[in-house]
Amino acid sequence: MSADATPPEEPATEGTGDAARAGDDPRSATYYHLARAVLYREFLIFVRYPANAIGGIVVSLFFFGALFLGGQLLAGQALTDSIEGIVVGYFLWTLSVGAYSSVSNDIGSEVQWGTLERHITTPFGFAPVALLKGVAKVVRTFITSAVILAAMLLITGTRLSLAPVTVVAVAGLSIVSVLGLGFAAGGVTVLYKRIGNWLNLLQFGFVALISAPVFDLPWTRVLPLAHGSAMLQRAMVDGVRLWEFPLADLALLVAVALGYLFGGYLVFQYATARARRLGVLGDY
Amino acid sequence: MARSVANARGGPRERDETDAARGEESPADRSGPPALAIDGLTKRFGEGDDAVTAVDDVSLTVERGSVVGLLGPNGAGKTTLIKCALGIVIPDAGSVRVFGTDVRDGRRTAYADVDAMLEGARNDYWRLTVRENLRYFATISGVDPDSVAARHDRLLDRLDLADKADTPVRDLSRGMKQKVSLASVLAGGAELVFLDEPTLGLDVESARTLRAELRRLAVEEGLTIVVSSHDMTTIEAVCDRVVMLSNGRIVADDGVEALLDAADRDAVRVASPDLDAETVAGLRESFEILDVDREARPPAVTVAAGGDRFYDVADALRAAGVTVSDVRTVQPDLEEVFLERTGTASDASLGGESP
Repeated sequence: MSADATPPEEPATEGTGDAARAGDDPRSATYYHLARAVLYREFLIFVRYPANAIGGIVVSLFFFGALFLGGQLLAGQALTDSIEGIVVGYFLWTLSVGAYSSVSNDIGSEVQWGTLERHITTPFGFAPVALLKGVAKVVRTFITSAVILAAMLLITGTRLSLAPVTVVAVAGLSIVSVLGLGFAAGGVTVLYKRIGNWLNLLQFGFVALISAPVFDLPWTRVLPLAHGSAMLQRAMVDGVRLWEFPLADLALLVAVALGYLFGGYLVFQYATARARRLGVLGDY
Repeated sequence: MARSVANARGGPRERDETDAARGEESPADRSGPPALAIDGLTKRFGEGDDAVTAVDDVSLTVERGSVVGLLGPNGAGKTTLIKCALGIVIPDAGSVRVFGTDVRDGRRTAYADVDAMLEGARNDYWRLTVRENLRYFATISGVDPDSVAARHDRLLDRLDLADKADTPVRDLSRGMKQKVSLASVLAGGAELVFLDEPTLGLDVESARTLRAELRRLAVEEGLTIVVSSHDMTTIEAVCDRVVMLSNGRIVADDGVEALLDAADRDAVRVASPDLDAETVAGLRESFEILDVDREARPPAVTVAAGGDRFYDVADALRAAGVTVSDVRTVQPDLEEVFLERTGTASDASLGGESP
């Protein structure tokens, strides 16, 4: 900050440098302005280009339809008995894929567009921007996945407990861990641009995590999604409410979410720092 | 005679417009630390035998309110230098201070006053409208967008984008996209702006407009601008001062006029159908012949003839019975200065392939 260029009446904060220019009265942006800008951008792109979201919904439903109808042919009654679990699992999977790929693809695109550097060289620092973008992606993913869930319930004629607070809290915290993986993958993409596409295959691994045998192998609960998936099954299939879960379960859910988010962000941070040393940040 | 007719690339330059703007320049705020102070900057890429020293012990100070050109062929280290100054690339040695703040130590505060338009990058969101981009990037660079709405209107006006303010960037022409990119860089009120090859890929007309606008913006907004380019026209039209880079080192650093004057190669180019080999040989006895163009219609010869030597050339031509079709003064351009300074042969001219 060129403090001497800042008139005395201006608070000595960032970004007030051109106050001297006629007709301008630049004020520093606060985190509120930052949040508004980032979320508004996501919103604009979501409503202005609905084809992306609709395309995702259609593809997801097509796969689910194939899975359900094919399963009915092959397994018959056995499938119908476990259909609730499958619907819940598929719902969580679409959420995870949405959160993961939107974050990692977003980073990849921003590298390509040259906009990533502008977010890294912001006076706010990249972390709050990234976090806000993550929030926006999660909200967006919830909207599309809710449509998919509604359609699945209609197709299969299943009933589930849909207590909004419980479902959003448990599913939301579950996919925060995936968001962390998305940041890590995005960081790897910054360093090794070609690997980025391959990392998209990771999302099929989420199926394994969602169906992890947490009762037989309790350690799998610390993996992303696994513990949250088990809790979401209980919430949606058995109707367990958020406050009815043991405190330890909730604590583990939060810990896993934050742990992976933080870890993923560290990987991203490390990758961009390395990219800056190697000079590959901002290579198009 | 006007320099414009002597432009090696043919097209007239927009000297008149930009010269006018240059004349108006008010003494910029020169108090406080310089806008940019680079000291002993070195950056190597790779290791061992493959290591490339992109920037080699470069020191450079840019005063507030000045427009400095970084000139050099691709691979000379211009972009690396800019990225180091932005903190996007971490140097191996040396320091970069922006308005007195070390880029490495206090990056976040340094960022508030600096922005850049990097080569080949979109720099903005094509799916947002022009105005949405300005508001977004103003916020990202730390300024409440509502407080600079008037500035954004002014920017759009100046860059001829006012009609397109609510058009998504993707629907604009290439020249306009480039201008939006520039506007988004200026939207947050950065005082030090790096522009890396700002006219790359633009058609002649768009490049001309952008150059004229750059000059005006620099003067009217009191910006400090560092423009990198391998295109002499851009640097000559926009900058006060040129820093020439070759192989990561500074080979010249002076005012545009001073560099051109120092080259001291004033010459005249005479075209006439009477210029046969014999006549040229005759001229060669008394004058320094810089160039003979037999392919031209009519053939032309370029003779070193600064000051009153021109009369001698005219006399000699009359004596040889040459009827002159066209005479132009030929002044050196930065390309010649560059080649002179680096001792590079002209076939290794600027604008070579990327490394």
